[in-house]
Amino acid sequence: MGTTVLIVDDSKLARIVVGKAIAALQPDWNRLEASGADEALALLDCQAIDVVVLDFNMPGRDGLELAEELRGRFPNMPIAIATANVQDEIIARAREAGATFIPKPVTEDGMRGFISGAALRLRSAAQ
Amino acid sequence: MSAHTIFLEELERDALTELVNIGVSRAASSLRKMVGEQVLLSVPAVEVMTREGAAVLIRERESGELVAVRQDFQGVFSGRALLIFPETNSMALVHAVTGGALSVDEAAEMENEALAETGNVVLNSCLATMANMLQQPLTMSLPEVLRGDGASLFTLSDENADGGVVLFLYINFAINDRDIRGYIAMLMDLPSLQALKTLINDFIERVAGDVG
Amino acid sequence: MTDLAGPATRHREGGASADLDALRALAGPMLDALAGAGVALTVTDPRQPDDPIVFVNGAFEVLTGYEAREAVGRNCRFLQTTQTDAATLAKLTADLVSSGAASADLLNQRRDGALFWNRISITTLRDASGSPAFRLATQVDVSVEYQDAAVGDQLGVNQRRLIEAKERLRLAQRVAGAAGAWEWDIPSGRLIADARFADLYRLDPVEAAEGLPTSAFFEGVHPSDRMRLKIAIAGALNGAEVFSREYRLISGGELRWVSARGRTYLDDAEAPARFTGVLVDITEQKKVEERLRIAQTAGGVGSFEYLSGFGTAEVSEAFCRLLGLQPASSLPVRTINSVVHPDDPPLIAGRDGHHEVGPAFQEFRIRRADTGEERWLAARGEYQPAAAGGLSFIGVVYDVTATKETEARLRALTQALEVRVETSTQELDRVWKLSRDLLSITDTNCVYRAVNPAWEKLLGYSAVDLVGTAMGQLVHPDDLAQALEKAAGLRHGEPLADFDCRVRTRDGDYRWINWTALPEGDAVYAVGRDITQRKLLEDQLRQSQKMEAVGQLTGGLAHDFNNMLTGIMGGVDMVRRRIAEGRIADIDRFLEAAMQSGQRAAALTHRLLAFSRRQTLDSRPLDVGALAESMGDLLLRTLGEQIQLRIAADQDLWPALADDNQLESAILNLAINARDAMPTGGRLTISSHNVTLPAEALVHSDRAEPGDYVEVRVSDTGSGMPPDVLEKVFDPFFTTKPLGQGTGLGLSMIYGFVQQSRGHVRIESRQGLGTTIHLYLPRHRGEIADQATNDAMNAGAGSGETVLVIEDDPSVRLLVVQVLEELGYQAIETESGRDAMPILQSNRHIDLLISDVGLPGLNGRQLADIARERRPDLPILFMTGYAEQAADQSAFLAARMEIIAKPFAIADLAHRIGAILHKRGGS
Repeated sequence: MGTTVLIVDDSKLARIVVGKAIAALQPDWNRLEASGADEALALLDCQAIDVVVLDFNMPGRDGLELAEELRGRFPNMPIAIATANVQDEIIARAREAGATFIPKPVTEDGMRGFISGAALRLRSAAQ
Repeated sequence: MSAHTIFLEELERDALTELVNIGVSRAASSLRKMVGEQVLLSVPAVEVMTREGAAVLIRERESGELVAVRQDFQGVFSGRALLIFPETNSMALVHAVTGGALSVDEAAEMENEALAETGNVVLNSCLATMANMLQQPLTMSLPEVLRGDGASLFTLSDENADGGVVLFLYINFAINDRDIRGYIAMLMDLPSLQALKTLINDFIERVAGDVG
Repeated sequence: MTDLAGPATRHREGGASADLDALRALAGPMLDALAGAGVALTVTDPRQPDDPIVFVNGAFEVLTGYEAREAVGRNCRFLQTTQTDAATLAKLTADLVSSGAASADLLNQRRDGALFWNRISITTLRDASGSPAFRLATQVDVSVEYQDAAVGDQLGVNQRRLIEAKERLRLAQRVAGAAGAWEWDIPSGRLIADARFADLYRLDPVEAAEGLPTSAFFEGVHPSDRMRLKIAIAGALNGAEVFSREYRLISGGELRWVSARGRTYLDDAEAPARFTGVLVDITEQKKVEERLRIAQTAGGVGSFEYLSGFGTAEVSEAFCRLLGLQPASSLPVRTINSVVHPDDPPLIAGRDGHHEVGPAFQEFRIRRADTGEERWLAARGEYQPAAAGGLSFIGVVYDVTATKETEARLRALTQALEVRVETSTQELDRVWKLSRDLLSITDTNCVYRAVNPAWEKLLGYSAVDLVGTAMGQLVHPDDLAQALEKAAGLRHGEPLADFDCRVRTRDGDYRWINWTALPEGDAVYAVGRDITQRKLLEDQLRQSQKMEAVGQLTGGLAHDFNNMLTGIMGGVDMVRRRIAEGRIADIDRFLEAAMQSGQRAAALTHRLLAFSRRQTLDSRPLDVGALAESMGDLLLRTLGEQIQLRIAADQDLWPALADDNQLESAILNLAINARDAMPTGGRLTISSHNVTLPAEALVHSDRAEPGDYVEVRVSDTGSGMPPDVLEKVFDPFFTTKPLGQGTGLGLSMIYGFVQQSRGHVRIESRQGLGTTIHLYLPRHRGEIADQATNDAMNAGAGSGETVLVIEDDPSVRLLVVQVLEELGYQAIETESGRDAMPILQSNRHIDLLISDVGLPGLNGRQLADIARERRPDLPILFMTGYAEQAADQSAFLAARMEIIAKPFAIADLAHRIGAILHKRGGS
């Protein structure tokens, strides 16, 4: 079974950009998209998801809250927060929630560390 | 002399200009990555003026319709940040940021959405960097796309104006080799200004110790 | 359709015909359908060398204007121009190679030269083996889509040019050593700076080059500026891209303004890594700016600068204030013009780059953007061709509302006067008595019948003084002729409006009065308004404009000079290095380069001084005819074969008094101008005549007096000049040549030289017929001294004579002393009058005194007087770069004194010294 990544961002453009970066790094991964926290949770309930990339600034629950909740449910899931809000405080909170911080605009280079780390973690967990 | 001298000392004004300069440089760097072209910046202008004055200032430069992405921020100081450009540049900017990712039709379809995300990235980079420099957190609202002339962008429907005096910061930017230009602007009301003054003075003190 | 449509087939060649059969076999009926469809179509054969066209249809002929036979056999690129975008072409070619299909919009040219946007779509037809056999291209004119884009592109081009020009200037400053450079390594906290930076900061250049603690950046900064600089640098160190600050440096009690501009570079992790920039000394610029600012604010004068093609104009703060706009340094032209009353002409015209070049003046109403108040403004400026193409319009605006209101009141008053004279004497009386303007009634012979009390208040004359006298007696002599002409008009029933003249007050002062007058029946009613204040303001304005021009000139010259200095210093530096390394084989070419730069710099100062009429002229008796004759060979070579040259002189031509070098240079300049006016050949005549000029002929001359002159007449049969050009030819910097081909100093330089020689210049020109320039040089009464003895003098013949040298510039002093010693003289070296005085007053034997004119303390001329007290026969040679007193040599020099102008060649100096000492020995 392949790896599935869920991209959560209220902006379609942002989802396209993140999706493109991931596709370049891991062409075999399945990519799912959600435009908000509720939609993401619904997806997580009905299918297996290995990796999530979350936007921070979204209508409804923000990305950090969602990350904290997911961390509770999936202690080992690789989670990333992608945002242009590069405040020290946000970076610190992302770290506390066990999420990788990725500055926007997302580029392949900016994504590389997280994606390869996640791939490695998933492989070792599978063994 | 203009009103700002009443509110900000020369050094405070300098320091605020530099803070904006730092924030906007980061924003420009973000925009540069999004469009893959050089982004040129002017030296920031910092003025204390009425909202109407700010609107007039922009209108005098831009007589046509404008598009703006607006993001409000809150924290020790609060206000509104805007990424403004002439409506005629709007699609060109969308093309520039979506680049190869979208077809022309797709890009047209999601014009507003793309503008919002561009504004979100640019304004967030700028505000977050400034917040870091001032060592105080800020929360940012969701981006919102507005269209209209200068006056409508600066009038707040949900707030009553306190004499209407605001701190107005703006920077011109232009994207090299594309006919895209615009402004990054920030408005802050008076209570915020007082809080900001304190933070700026902390910054000045750090600078006086740090540098040289 | 069975045949290829259109006339194309009639012109096809044998080979092409065979191609077409092959093509038809491949393409089938589609080809005929396409060819007849009215879309321009070309077919090329990529198997042949250079992919030639083998077929075009009728629509192609209509679109491009080329007939099929002109197109067939050529590559499609014959439609392209130099403006066709190379990148688009490259992409088109690349697409064709990779996929066989491509489409692009190319800027192409029709047969008649007209440009059009051609949307080309190409497909490749492949043969059975799959290799390309034919390429079909359709072509559609899509120029309409590009009309707006073209305007936008042009704007972009202009902006880029401006940015490039600024960048070039900045680089030039850096290269010329005017700017210091620094590099601040942010992680290590080290500051590395070049020698110029170290010099401005008074740092040790070696330490600065090796690296200093960054605190060095703030040492020596004026305390009031230090904190602001720290803040700005804190910005740069934290990632702000743009750094630009002006601040003061204090060192050794000296205060200098510097401008620092820098940029921060980030490392791969986006952390600030390096902060680099350049530092320029702007002390002088600050002074000029300050003076200009004061001049402008004092007069309420706003300035603006507009370059055609741009949407915005550079403006001053005062400009914004006058229009009621928010202060800004640039404003959109649309915004500026929108403030102007719709019935009045726009403030800034010529946006499309088309506007008559020359001075412009207009008065117009505005509605202030802030208050909506209506004001009258006047704009005065000049449209000029801009360096980057198009036009520049630079000028000033000022408020004339008060004047305009007065004018309006006057008009009303005049009208009221007309009406009320008939209706109510009582009301008239009130107006008459209360008006602050001069009101008068004269009879048809312009004799005053009545004047109102304002005359007494303003000018001091009561009715008793004036009634019965004729108009015009109080008018300033310079304005009288015009005033009498206007009075004559009034007698013929013509009304008079807006006539300015100066009127004498009882105290003997003059006031400017603006007159409106109306003849009515047997009387003339006149109203005069005092506008002295306005005239004064206008004068001030002219002065401030002159200062602006001087500022611009200075900037340009500094740039040229810096370049030349770079040549000189660079050459000398290279020689020094080569000598240090022992490689002296080819140092000559560096010396030659330095020498050439030096000569260019010398020529430039000479031209400038000539233009400002401050050159050191060596006027002496001169045979002008012989001088012109001696230039024959040089002129023939300069003029080329297409131009006939005739040189003639009156018999018994008088000697003239002038500087022979300057006259030669003037004649040569005129000849070159004439040559350029006769591109297809013609005749140039240089003739010399004796003339006697009466005072009437000299009204436009400021120094010449009536009397005998030697005239040098230079006439050509060239294109001549239109009257508007003729008016301006003596203006400094006026040139008809394309920018960059001349400084425009030529004719004004000649004008300067002749005026300074107390002569006169006159120019005649008829368009299409030619131009004649008359130079009148004052006649010399007496014989021309035989200069042969001078010329035969041997330069290198010193025999131990003692020469006292006074020169404060150490390098010039070194040079002079060196020359003297090499020539076999004994030199005594001093650097000021204070050093020289004891020697001059001692009994020490001295054969010659060589002195600089401009010295600290006593100047050279004063020293010479003192020296002569004890040594009346001591010959003296002055050296001067420029000294105002020395500009007129005959007044400056006493007997046995001579002058040599710096810069001079060593041989010239040697020659002059030899000549002076030989003369002494011979007498």
